[in-house]
Parts: sequence; structure tokens; C-alpha cells
Amino acid sequence: MAIFRKGVHPRAHKERTSGVPIARGPEPAEIWLPLKQHISAPAIPAVQAGERVLRGQLVARKADGVSANVYSPVAGTVKEIVGHITASGKKQEHIHIVNDFTDESVSLPPLSDPAGADVLARIEEAGIVGMGGAGFPTAVKLNVGGRADVLVVNGAECEPYITCDERIMLEYADEVLDGVRLCMLACGAGRAVIGIEKNKPAAIALFSQRAGEGIEVKPLRTRYPQGAEKQLIYGCTGRTVPEGGLPVDAGVVVVNVHTALAAYRAVREGTPCYERVMTVSGGAVQKPGNFWVKNGTPLRELASFCGADENCARIVSGGPMMGEAVFSLKVCTGKTSSSLLFLDEGECVSKAATVCIGCGRCVQACPMGLLPNFIEAALFAKDYAEAKRCGAASCIGCGCCSYVCPAKRFLAQSVRLAQKTIRERKI
Amino acid sequence: MAEISNYKVAASPHELDGADTRRIMVDVLIALLPCVVCGTLFYGLYALLLVVICTATCFISEQLFNLARRKPLTFDCSALVTGVILGLNLPPRAEWYIPVIGGVFAIVIVKMLFGGLGKNFANPAATARVFLLLAYSSVMAQYIGADISGNALGLPTDVVTAPTYLTAGSAALADPFLGVSGYGGYLLQMLLGYTGGSIGETCALAILAGGAYLCVRRVIDWRIPAVYILTAAVMVLACYQSASEILLQLLSGGLLFGAVFMATDYATSPKWRYNRILYAVGLGVLTVVIRRFGAYPEGTSLAILIMNLLVPVMDRYLLPVRFGQRTKKGKPMPHVVQWTALGLCGAMLLALAVAAPIVAVTEDRTFVKAGPIELQGTYASIESAYRNEDGSCRFEVKGIADLTEYNYQQPLRYTVTLDADGKFVTDVEPIEQSTMGYVAELSLFEGKSYEEIASLTELGTDAELSATRTNTALREMILECFAAYDYNVASYVTLGYDGAGDNITRIERRGDLYRFTVEGVADLTEYNYQQPLCYAVTLDAASGRIYAITTVTESTMGYTLDKQLFLGKTAEELAAMTEEGIQADITTGATVTNVAARGLFAQCFDALEEVAHG
Repeated sequence: MAIFRKGVHPRAHKERTSGVPIARGPEPAEIWLPLKQHISAPAIPAVQAGERVLRGQLVARKADGVSANVYSPVAGTVKEIVGHITASGKKQEHIHIVNDFTDESVSLPPLSDPAGADVLARIEEAGIVGMGGAGFPTAVKLNVGGRADVLVVNGAECEPYITCDERIMLEYADEVLDGVRLCMLACGAGRAVIGIEKNKPAAIALFSQRAGEGIEVKPLRTRYPQGAEKQLIYGCTGRTVPEGGLPVDAGVVVVNVHTALAAYRAVREGTPCYERVMTVSGGAVQKPGNFWVKNGTPLRELASFCGADENCARIVSGGPMMGEAVFSLKVCTGKTSSSLLFLDEGECVSKAATVCIGCGRCVQACPMGLLPNFIEAALFAKDYAEAKRCGAASCIGCGCCSYVCPAKRFLAQSVRLAQKTIRERKI
Repeated sequence: MAEISNYKVAASPHELDGADTRRIMVDVLIALLPCVVCGTLFYGLYALLLVVICTATCFISEQLFNLARRKPLTFDCSALVTGVILGLNLPPRAEWYIPVIGGVFAIVIVKMLFGGLGKNFANPAATARVFLLLAYSSVMAQYIGADISGNALGLPTDVVTAPTYLTAGSAALADPFLGVSGYGGYLLQMLLGYTGGSIGETCALAILAGGAYLCVRRVIDWRIPAVYILTAAVMVLACYQSASEILLQLLSGGLLFGAVFMATDYATSPKWRYNRILYAVGLGVLTVVIRRFGAYPEGTSLAILIMNLLVPVMDRYLLPVRFGQRTKKGKPMPHVVQWTALGLCGAMLLALAVAAPIVAVTEDRTFVKAGPIELQGTYASIESAYRNEDGSCRFEVKGIADLTEYNYQQPLRYTVTLDADGKFVTDVEPIEQSTMGYVAELSLFEGKSYEEIASLTELGTDAELSATRTNTALREMILECFAAYDYNVASYVTLGYDGAGDNITRIERRGDLYRFTVEGVADLTEYNYQQPLCYAVTLDAASGRIYAITTVTESTMGYTLDKQLFLGKTAEELAAMTEEGIQADITTGATVTNVAARGLFAQCFDALEEVAHG
């Protein structure tokens, strides 16, 4: 089995939620639906203030180029289209909808026996984006013109705490497998490999049993970042994506299991992408679990729904390794919000950075083969050429270097900053 | 629900590994503990005091430096680690100021002046050790033997300097050790560290226990000590052409301690794992080369210091291949460094696995206790005897070339070396002989066996009287060396013999040689005195001749046996001797001794018939 070397072994913390079945999440009275829940251009609003919308109704149409449609998860009235803060701290356009709790809905017509082009069109129409966290519009990703022969399905879920993909695989196995077949049809790959970390034996057993012809289940070593795109492709197929290239350069397309489920729902049930399964966990939550959460739900609603208490020392949107710390509960969820963590004091110890002792653990841990400590030194010396020579441009932002650093230095941030500067200055 | 309000924002990752700098340093201190305990047990409380002084000096000097620079005090325990490691590198009876000077040098000069923790260019402890070695070379070479009972409170004033394996070879080791003799005893002794050396570096078991702890805790990279030791083993095999030397060299000196605790120092070892392998290969090569060919018996600290200086270069120019990295032509980047490092390790493992058994089989190395031989028996010419490490014996002999005609007695002194089995003369070196050119013809003797020398008749070389006399005297001395070897070194098996009523007290055998211990009396009736006699006579059953005679007891007044009369004689020749023939020229006493001895020797021949043929 091809495994990437290096990486780290953070504590999994998955036991809190991995046994809890997926439940319905909160029904918010008001939602702020972001127009940009994906990478690249924001969608263009298709409704106006005061207009009534139904659940499953298109409220923002994709812009030209790489973009994605946005659907309303509730029935209600559009109050306004307004700038609202996002998890990254920037203000962006959101559609503010007041829920009238009638739950009137519309849906797309289900397709019974679609061709590849039909699936692609439906995935585009339903506004599906990569739900593992990257948020790249799936239709664009799948439209590779036959250059890919393998579809890699990401069920690794290597981030600690998060269990939404595991629950989906256990509860929606047939739907996910059908979604995988639809994606294979859409991208023209003859073979699919589902990579699942070995710490999810039930999911591996279930999928091995149900997977039909052309779909292979690949148990992967439990090691962070096993679910990172390049590392996953290497683990599932043994292929190496060239530096600076895309998976398709190695003949591979990668989708998340949740994306496959969304594809199934869009094609077979006609349900567009307006809600997702989210893990709410952490030491400061009374009722952790996995929930179907409507896009645009304010985090405050989730906090009160799950009983987050005042022990909470840090709120993280996403996994603890790569997720962003939330600075305000006004922020709303989106298509890519895989989890919300309410960490207590013990779970997110912040320590002051001390001097680098040169132990080289960051070098051993970096799954991309970079030299984080030297990149940091180069950054402090403003020597960006040296930072690039040490590999700063290839950082995938997994955070392994910061995780292992015994001096608690902010290596991942430094490398990210160096990477950003190198890109901006085109060094 | 209480409103949550006191949450904070930070950049990812939010999950961090539990290890921190202080925890790592405490782990190293824990790993050093077995070495400290063994050092204290073997070298006494004074050794512990040295380690404590050194540690305290390091800690205090770091804080004073911080104060002087108006920096916050540092409590990350790294100074303690440096202090303990340097302390364990000191000889057990160094004066109290040695650790103070070394500690200040390590912390202030090597570490703090270059920016403190993580910025030092070389390992502080290794550099300080090298500094002390150069500045206080006599003190730093002053090792004492380990003693678990006696020297608990020894002070530098009563040092009994003991050699180490690296300075004196196996002469520095006890044989047997705990009942195990030879090679096994040496290994056991060095594993336990019950020998001379620096406080902490002798006990291999304690070091390995500490190293295993550090590897399990992932504090050090196991590759550095493992590859260091592997390389050193291969280099020892190549440089010493000896398989048995490998373990002795690995276990001696500071190699293991350096490999586990000093070469793995974070700031001064490479960051990438394959660079670490190359670095460790360099350490192994340098250490053995310095030991074998250098002026210093120990090379670990110097090797670490030299490789430390290469680390920044390695870190800068040998970079890991990035995931998916391509060459300019778009081909996958070749993993040159990685392949080199792994190939080197594989080749060394292969070489060790193939060559070590071959060398071990062909190697003819006897492990004997080197050192002076305490001679039993009386020898006219032998002054001292010394056993070399390879088993050969060196005798210092003196005699006289008696030039009666010129009324001159030329004193002679030589060293004669016999091979390990006592069969050949391997070397004869003159110390004192004629300065007029009448020197011994060494080629007559060197490389010759006992038989060849015993049967030499043509001793006159250049027809010069003096050289012939010298050769004759030397021949006698050499034959006596063989006798001394036979009696003191050669291993005989005692045979059961009860020859009732005769004078033989003991018969031993090795091969064709039979050694008889006979006791008798020289009856000096005129003086109303009975001189007890005891000789060890070795007879060669193959030739039937007297091989060697060693005097155990005889007159101390000069009335001694004339051995030349008897050496090489057969039983028949012995019987044919007339009393006049064995009359010594000096006094009657010797004649009586000679006559008595002839009777004793004749008995030996009779007994030989019995034990060898009957």
C-alpha cells in the first residue's frame, strides 16, 4: 500500500460523535445565506428584498466562470441583501431570509436514467461544491473531458473531532455509492477508489460489502493529513500529483463522500444543495452530534441548539488542524462548513512561542517535504527567494509543522504568509 | 443557556502536540540518570560532585549572562542538560575548577554568545570537552579504574591513574572479570563500564538504556546513533582488520555516549532525516580515523565538533525532495540524497554481514592479559618479562661476553620476543652491546625455532673472537627465555603419576613436552650442609632430549647448576657423562649440584619412558 511518509498523529477525539446518528439540526428563524460558499466568483442574487422564496428555490445564480448556484433552505421572505461577516473575517454579500416556518418547497425533477452530460448539468444546476471543505464547484471539477481514469472518493476524514463523513458513510451507504457512480459517469472515469482511514472499520466493512463493480474500497493508514488531496491520491492510487499541478494531471478526480451524496440527492431526488451534515463537538458542548444543518444558519443557533456552555475557550469552524477560529457567533454556515467545535480550555492550550531549538520535527512532519523552520527564518529575514527555495510555495496548509513544534512556534502561519507573499510578488 | 462570551481567536492548528522544550530537556535528563548513577557507583561521590558542580556552573552562568544582557531568565532546563553531559565527560578525579571552566566555556562562549538555545554552531559539551582536552591535557587524561567498593570519597590528591582500553589496549582491562576470562570477560566489563574512563561514558548498558528511553519518547532520532555505530563498526573492521576489535572499540571511550547524547543535539544536527544519516556516517568515519591514525586516543568529541561545522552546509544544500517536485524537464525529481543515504547504510550492513565473519574466522587473535609476567623460578640472565596483547612474550635479558684474553668483560643487554606459542623467536633487539663492532648476529636467532637455536654450532660469524662470544652468550640467554616461557607462560596439563620413592613431585604435559618437577639435595658433607634442590625439567618426548630447565630452588651462594651441560642431552648422553665432565670449574659446590641434578634428570627420563610410552 502506498502511504505518504511523515504527517502527524493528533488525538482523534471522534468518540463523542461517531456513534450518534445524524439528526435534524435547528430550524432558524432568520438565515443569512452567503452568496459565496465556494471558491472563486460569488453568485449573483436572483431575488429581491421582500420577495417570498420557497425551500429549494434558486435565490442566486452562478456567475460566469467558476461559480455555483445558491438555493434557499427555508420558506420565507427575503428581507434584504446585505453585507455580513464571514468566518474569515471579511464582509460579504448575504441574502437575509426570514423563515415563516411553512416549509413550502419546490424541487428539481428527478432524473431516472441520466447520461454523463445530464449528470454534469444537474450537478452544476444544483449548486454542488466540494463539501470536504475546499468548496470547488464540483461540476467544473468533474468536467475533465476524459482526461481522468480514476475517481478517488475521500472518506478519509483525517481531521480530529469530525465524524460527519463517517456517519454519512454508515447511514447513506447506498446513496453515496450511487452518487459515486453518477460522478464516475459525469467525469468519464472507469474506476473509483474510496479511501477510508482504518479508524473507521465499520464504514470500510460496509462499503467493501456494498461496493459494486468498478468501485474499490481502500483502507488507509490513520495519519493526518491522509485526507489532503495529494496525499489521498497517493494513498489510493500510488500516483503523485506534480507540484503546482491539479489531480487531473495524474489522471485523477477527487470528490468527497458528502459531495457524492449531494450528487445523488440532486440527480435522483431533485434536491439542490442547500443543507449539509455538520459535526458539532468539543468539550464545551452538552449535546454533541451530527446534524443536518441548513446553509445560512447563524452559529448562535447551533450553539444554543447543542448546548454550548461558558467553558468554551475557542470556537472553530472546521477541523482543529485547519479550521478557522470563529470571532463572532453571527457568522453563518455554508456548503463547506463540515463542523463546528466548541473547545474548552484543555483542548486548545495556547502557549507562548519560545525560541526554535532546531529539533527538526517540523521537517520530519511536513507531508510535502518542506523545511518550515528555515522558511520561517527566511520570512523573518524577508528573504522570500530563500523561502521559496525551501518550498514555501508548495504548502498545503495542513498545520503539521505547528502541531509538532515543541517550541510552539507559529510555523504554519509563517509558511502561509511566505506563500502568500511569494504568490503576490510572483517571486 | 449561559451566553458564551469568553472565547478567543487564534490561528490554526488548534490542536497541538503535548511536547514542549522543557519536557524534552527533562526527558534527556531522565535518560542521563542511569549514567550518573553508574558513574557515582564506579567512581565515587566525588565524581557525582563534579557533575553537580558542572551542572550548577552551566545553569548559573546562563542566568548571569541573561542578567548581563538584560534578557529574561531562562528555565527551559537546556543548561542543565549541557551541564550534566559535560560533567559526565570529565575524568572522575578532575580538580573542582575543571567543570567550572568547562561549564562557563560551554555556556557562555559556545552557546550564549552565538544566540543561546538553538543557535549554537557546535555542541557545547563536545566543544568544551575538546577545549579542556587541549588546555588541561594532563588532567583530562587522568582516568582511574572503576571500583564499586573502595574509592567512594577519593579526592584528586590520591589519584592512581589507570589506563583505558583506548590508551593501553586490553592491558587496561581485568582478566578474568566476574569469572569470565578472555574476550567475553572484556566485553562484559565494558558493557558494565567497570573500567577506566570518563564518569558517564563507560557504562554501555546505562547509555543504551537512556538511548532507548529517548528513542521511545521520540526525543532523539534513532537514525543518528544507529548509523553512527554501524559506520564506526565498518570503519573499525576496515582500519584494524579485526572483527573482535569492533565491539571493543564500540564499547570503549565516549563513542556510545557521544552517539546517543551528543551527536543528537538538536541545534547542531541536520534537520532532515537523510541528512542525519549522512551526518552520522561522517561521525563514524571521523571517530575511527582519529582513533586509529590520529594523535589522540579518543576521537568522538572531535568528530562531533567537526561534523557540527558541516551541518549548516548540509542543511542548506541537501534539501528534501518536495512531494510531486519535478525537474526542469518535467520528470519526477530524483531522490539523490535519500538514495545515497540508504545505499550507504545498505552497503555498510552488507559489508559488515559479509566481511565480519570472514575476518573473524581468519583472524588469529588470542586475547591474553597483557602486562608484566611475574617470573617464578630463578634465571641467571632474565631481568624482566612482559606479556604483549597479542600473546607474545618479551624478555629483557642481560649477560656478559667474557673476553678473558683481553681481560675485558663486555656487558650485554637484549630484549628477546617469543611468539604466543613459545615456539619461535620473533624479535631480538640489542639494548647494550659492544660499541666496537663486535655485535650479535641477530639474523642467527630471529625467526628461528627452539630446535634451530639449540642446534646452532656455527656461532662464529666474522671470525672475530668477540662477536662469536657475544653470539654464544646471546644463544644461552635466548634458550633461557624459552625455559622461562615454558615454566611461566605455557599452559600445561597435570598428569597423574605416583612414582613412589623417587624425587619427582609433579608431571605435566603439553603436546610432546613433558615437564617434571624434581626435588633433591646437594649433599655438602664437608660443610655439614645439605642444599635443597628443586628443578622443573622439560623433556621433549619426540627427540628424547632435555628441552628446558628452570631453577626453583638451589644455592643462593653461586653454587648453581650449569644448565648448558645438560640442555639438549639425551638419556644416553646423560648416563655417559663422567663426574669429571660435569665438574664445574668454580667450586666443589656446583659440582655436587651438577652431580645431584644429573641423578634427578635421569629419573625424569625413566619417568618419561613410563608416562609417554608405557
